[in-house]
Amino acid sequence: MTSRIAKKRGEWINRDKPLTFEYEGQQVQGYEGDTISSALWANGIRVLGRSFKYHRARGLLSFANHDVNALMTDGEDTNIRADVWPVSNGMSLKAVNTDGGVIKDKNKYIDYLSPFLPVGFYYKTFYKPKRMFPFWEDKIRKAAGLGEVNFNYPRNIRPKRHAHCDVLVVGAGASGLSAALAAAAEGLSVILVDENLQAGGSLSYDYAGDQSSADTLHALLSEVEANQNIRLITDAYAGGYYTDHLVPIVEKSGITKVRAQSVIVATGVFEQPPVFRYNDLPGVMLGSAAQRLVHRYAVKPFEKGVVVTANDHGYRTALDLASVGVDVVAVIDMRSSGAGQDLTQKVKDSGISVHKGSCIYEAVPSSNKLGIKEVVVCPYDENTAEADTSKSVRLSCDGVAMSAGWAPAAALLYQAGTKMAYDYDVEQFVPAQLPEGVFAAGKVNGVFDLKSRQLDGRRAAAEAASYLGKAVQLESFKAASVNRPSHPYPIVNHPKGKNFVDFDEDIQVKDFINAAKEGFDNIELMKRFTTVGMGPSQGKHSNMNAIRILARIRQLPVEKIGTTTARPFFHPTPIGHLGGRGFHPHRYTAMHQWHVEHGGEMMEAGVWLRPAYYAPAGAGLTASEAVQQETLAVRESVGMIDGSTLGKIEVFGSDAGAFLERFYTGKFADQKVGGSRIAMLLDEAGVVVDDGVAVRMAEEQFYVSTNSSNAATVYREMQRNVQLWKMQVTLVNLTGAMAAMTVAGPKSRDVVASLTDIDVSADAMGKGAFRTGKVAGVDARVMRVSFVADLAFEIHVPYKAGLHVWKALMEAGKASGIRPFGTDAQRLLRLEMGHHLVSHDTDGLTNPFEAHSESLVAMDKPFFIGQRSLKILEKKPLNKKLTTFVLDPDFHGEVPNECNLVIDSASQIAGRVTSISYSGYLDRHIGFAFVPPEHSHAGARFQIRTDSGAMVAATACKAPFFHLLESRGE
Amino acid sequence: MPLGLLKYGLSKEHPAPRFFQDRTQPKKSYDAVIIGGGGHGLAAAYYLAKDYGITNVAVLEKGYIGGGNTGRNTTIVRSNYLTPEGVNFYDASVKMYEDLSEELDLNLFYSTRGHFTLAHTESAMRTMRWRAEVNKHVGVESRVVGPDEISQACPQLDIQCSGQAPILGALYHAPGSVARHDAVAWGYAKEADRLGVEIFQMTEVTGIDVKSGKVVGVNTNKGYIETNRVLSAVAGFTPRITDMVDIETPIVIHPLQACVSEPMKPWLDTILVSGSLHVYVSQSSRGELVMGSSLDPYEVHSTRSSLDFVEGLTSHIVDMFPFLSNVKVVRQWAGMADLTPDFAPVMGKTPVEGFYLDAGWGTWGFKATPISGKTMAETIARDVAPDLIQPFRLSRFEDYELTGEKGAASVGH
Amino acid sequence: MKLLECPINGIRPLSEFTYGGEYRDMPNPDTCSDKEWAAYVHYRNGAPGVKKEWWYHGPSGTWFIAERDTMADKVIRTYIAGQEEAK
Repeated sequence: MTSRIAKKRGEWINRDKPLTFEYEGQQVQGYEGDTISSALWANGIRVLGRSFKYHRARGLLSFANHDVNALMTDGEDTNIRADVWPVSNGMSLKAVNTDGGVIKDKNKYIDYLSPFLPVGFYYKTFYKPKRMFPFWEDKIRKAAGLGEVNFNYPRNIRPKRHAHCDVLVVGAGASGLSAALAAAAEGLSVILVDENLQAGGSLSYDYAGDQSSADTLHALLSEVEANQNIRLITDAYAGGYYTDHLVPIVEKSGITKVRAQSVIVATGVFEQPPVFRYNDLPGVMLGSAAQRLVHRYAVKPFEKGVVVTANDHGYRTALDLASVGVDVVAVIDMRSSGAGQDLTQKVKDSGISVHKGSCIYEAVPSSNKLGIKEVVVCPYDENTAEADTSKSVRLSCDGVAMSAGWAPAAALLYQAGTKMAYDYDVEQFVPAQLPEGVFAAGKVNGVFDLKSRQLDGRRAAAEAASYLGKAVQLESFKAASVNRPSHPYPIVNHPKGKNFVDFDEDIQVKDFINAAKEGFDNIELMKRFTTVGMGPSQGKHSNMNAIRILARIRQLPVEKIGTTTARPFFHPTPIGHLGGRGFHPHRYTAMHQWHVEHGGEMMEAGVWLRPAYYAPAGAGLTASEAVQQETLAVRESVGMIDGSTLGKIEVFGSDAGAFLERFYTGKFADQKVGGSRIAMLLDEAGVVVDDGVAVRMAEEQFYVSTNSSNAATVYREMQRNVQLWKMQVTLVNLTGAMAAMTVAGPKSRDVVASLTDIDVSADAMGKGAFRTGKVAGVDARVMRVSFVADLAFEIHVPYKAGLHVWKALMEAGKASGIRPFGTDAQRLLRLEMGHHLVSHDTDGLTNPFEAHSESLVAMDKPFFIGQRSLKILEKKPLNKKLTTFVLDPDFHGEVPNECNLVIDSASQIAGRVTSISYSGYLDRHIGFAFVPPEHSHAGARFQIRTDSGAMVAATACKAPFFHLLESRGE
Repeated sequence: MPLGLLKYGLSKEHPAPRFFQDRTQPKKSYDAVIIGGGGHGLAAAYYLAKDYGITNVAVLEKGYIGGGNTGRNTTIVRSNYLTPEGVNFYDASVKMYEDLSEELDLNLFYSTRGHFTLAHTESAMRTMRWRAEVNKHVGVESRVVGPDEISQACPQLDIQCSGQAPILGALYHAPGSVARHDAVAWGYAKEADRLGVEIFQMTEVTGIDVKSGKVVGVNTNKGYIETNRVLSAVAGFTPRITDMVDIETPIVIHPLQACVSEPMKPWLDTILVSGSLHVYVSQSSRGELVMGSSLDPYEVHSTRSSLDFVEGLTSHIVDMFPFLSNVKVVRQWAGMADLTPDFAPVMGKTPVEGFYLDAGWGTWGFKATPISGKTMAETIARDVAPDLIQPFRLSRFEDYELTGEKGAASVGH
Repeated sequence: MKLLECPINGIRPLSEFTYGGEYRDMPNPDTCSDKEWAAYVHYRNGAPGVKKEWWYHGPSGTWFIAERDTMADKVIRTYIAGQEEAK
């Protein structure tokens, strides 16, 4: 059976391109341009899905991207919205959330249990006894949810696009098109978006049997297309409104982030269903859905139907249905007043009877419950919402079109902070106070007459232009009054219920009444208890009726009930679209490629990549072998590490020394040119946050290093304090501009000496000395350091020369067996030297006293950051102290790990291990631990508990650890 | 189907009473006034009545009950903290939660699902071990697990995180749970009301009357109420209340955002958290993925949503679960969180006699609801804070005795 | 707030900026009591209002002060610290 009718002017399908697809095992014919729902409906298929809770058969309802009972899977993707998703040739579809197919769904029995599943039923049971809850929960979880996710769905991320415009117009119906044209005429750049495949809004379907509005649309569209200032994007929705007029426009191909100077919201309205028993049967649909089927897809919604309405729109729908040969049995008008004279006459002239002051008391399901066979029509009392069942009439039909009113598509307005007010003339919430730069036009603004909507669009554009500084004449106009477009209470009470308000969540009128009885009688609590509006359509067809029902329960005017907040997104939006192309930037040092070529195992160190160790291809080294070999090379001969990631900041100016004195804990004012000092930084609370080295290159020039991970933050804090302290200081961040490498080990002097004109002899360049000169022909800064070894040289050269100098040093060290070493060996080497690492051995609360760094703190200075807090801390007893420790020489048990706890004699936590390594050079396990101060002196014993719970004895000892060799007589 | 539901089908009238009375006008005086009708305030009221027989209590809520952070969090309950005092405190809360449905006679959907805090770096692994060691010490079930065990519990997770941040291991915390957050507030409201506590919605405190350093009453939009004891339990609004009594605190307000996906059939059985990727995710009993991230980076006193949040969060979600690319986000929202410098709450007595604070809950308030109610009730009833919450006293800041939770916060939630 | 005006570089997207906390006057460390200092270090003015805040424009390395309404999240004006009068 086909419901497809003869070709219609303006239809959206391409009859030259027929296609075939499968639905629930059945072959279906459609055309290019069809949505899944339109094609299925054209083929006489009425059951498009099962409902979320009761598994009731559902058909087409809104046909406007909120038919969330008609969700499909094509085997790849899930929760595909059939009402808007285009069909393609060969696709194979199934309805989601069924067990055994959409027709035979085994879960449909739940519908019969519904009387026992009152609103919020799950709060009232399943928890006694407690142990039974997991059983019930498993059942509930399995019953809940919609589609099944395909775990093999490909990673599909869409890069974001960006666009800017003067005016963003959302919605390309009569008011939006008019607004766009008027704004463009003022010379403003306009982006006009519409979620439909084609622009036009109701101009493309709400004909009332007369296609003259199509002419209006055609005229407006040709103007828009010809206008250079307007960019029209269809098949795209505005996902949300964010501050400063940021609106993501979501297309199938991805998101465009539009930053507009102003926004005109012309998003129109959502049609709202009247509420009567079995208003959810397949074949019962909204009037606008029926119109769209007819005019866009040339599909008859049903053969013989009735229209139930509580406004004039039902009459228009009836005329549209009749115009394509649907046998419209009657228009059932819930209003006793009926429609306007002309419209009523037109309907009557089409041979349709009109029943004023009547309602559908209930729709009667066909024998298989998969469709509708008749409706029961009764006189209706608008005041009490009761039907007079003593005077019922049965009308047989296979479909119902329903119109009761509209709710504004005002999500963007709410998100922008618009204050809405209830307008009794149109029985709708309308904007009362708009935020700056945001304007509303058309039906969302409560303007319904077609001519008035166009004028309203122009008015909004003029206001936007004026807001943007254009000299425009602002004219006010009065919208032509229309017959009340929405009914204040389109609800029909029924003792047996199943009069659905929320089709996403299967919520009926009595659920609201009962929720209120239990105390959930304000809109937010009611929403949370009943879950109205919380389904995937986010209340687009249900929130307004819910508010009306609650208002009646509370006997309050609708505006006193208020509305719930409309959060982004306007429609559910794919995670891959939102996430977009992720950026995971890394920084490479000048020697990066060399490391990779030489087997460097590259690890992330903040934004940098650094070699943890080198395992050259073919060398067959394990990580720990590599680390021990690299360490031994430094201890016995020479090694070199790429230290380019260190923060490197130059501090110039007459106040440079004074600045460092205030910034760091130590003294710098009296520091000699050519010397270096440790620079420890605290926060205001006295917590250690960084340590580096400050070199005085000249009287008014310091070169300061920071820990790799702190380079950006230390530089930033320096900048802030220069401004705050108003000091004559200039800062230059050379972190990326300079490469650095450390040559370390007994033979390091020989290696460096062979390549430099600097006198690096012991006499000329003692510990901490700093010199500039040439290294391998390149201007270099060279420092005697002792972080990893007693004898070591840190060489800084411009980034571009980094690789050259590195290679030259490797070449020069060849004879000495030089080895590159990575961060793992560096960790061990500094541990052997007894140097702790800030934020590895210390944490977010460690002060210098606890870190054993008193010697770096010049408390006698007038000021440094954190000093005043140290003066307070100084007076308090110390709770813990960082100490170096060693395990017993013959230790062979389970080695403690970093962060294993130190346990005292009362089995309480006394501290923790912060570093521990096996040193091959010393043949001992050595480390750092926080211990009570009384256990921090050399020789004190304490217990460490391993992962498995074993207790290991450790001995505090002094650093560096090389005295351990002496004690062994080596 | 459980028999308990039969009456709903068989009875003509809906056989369920109101959860709590509809009250509009408070009395002239109460033994205690609780500001804030969220989970914490209602729980405190309940335990005041139940444990101490103090029933002449008013709970004043400026909006609707549970409408603040109780209804905006991602419902995770856990106790795998870093410091012994933190672990002890939250463990007590977890234990109370386990029996809370029965106690409140309401199904809170308290569901123990196991909680993995993923580590993508060596330093994160160290913190996991630190937490595991402290947890074990205190008797809480947490341990460090490797990628294989994570994969077993959640085979859908891409351990390589699309190559962006490979997972090295995790802290596994077996008691980690989720609960139906709204129901927690409703259950406490119901039982507090039954015991005689009076709950007032749409009732805003506009001032607190302090005379000679003692609380003597509160001003509200419904008039003046005499009382000697006031508890502030108003996450996100704490500074506005403490300003009324001239108390300084370290609390600043940052928004915390979250979002949910469309419902899908259950597949994610565990709770996953990644500190490095700023993601926490679980699947609700409705089938939605409930997803959250870290706090917004600067102070804002509103519940506006931002696009940056959802862009950042989803980009990490696809790294973890590439197949979710076309699964859709339905809704995003925000709450306002009290933030403290050491990522621990501020609880107990204050310099103003009779003014008690239950604040500073950051992103972790929901999980503490029962125990904070219980301990604050004790504090109010006895005017002495119990030992369990002593580490969280306000005076710790002046004393430079901050809690050590700072270390775990970056990988927390 | 999605855009912020750097006094040097003009209006830039918020993603280029880092929040630096409220601008607070430091008490004189030599004369203030321990209690006053502890309060300065730890306590904050957490209630909403128009606040003077530090903001940092990362790409250009510029610190400046923004006067921002923390309720509406709207910036009233921005200037380099100490150059308030000049604006």
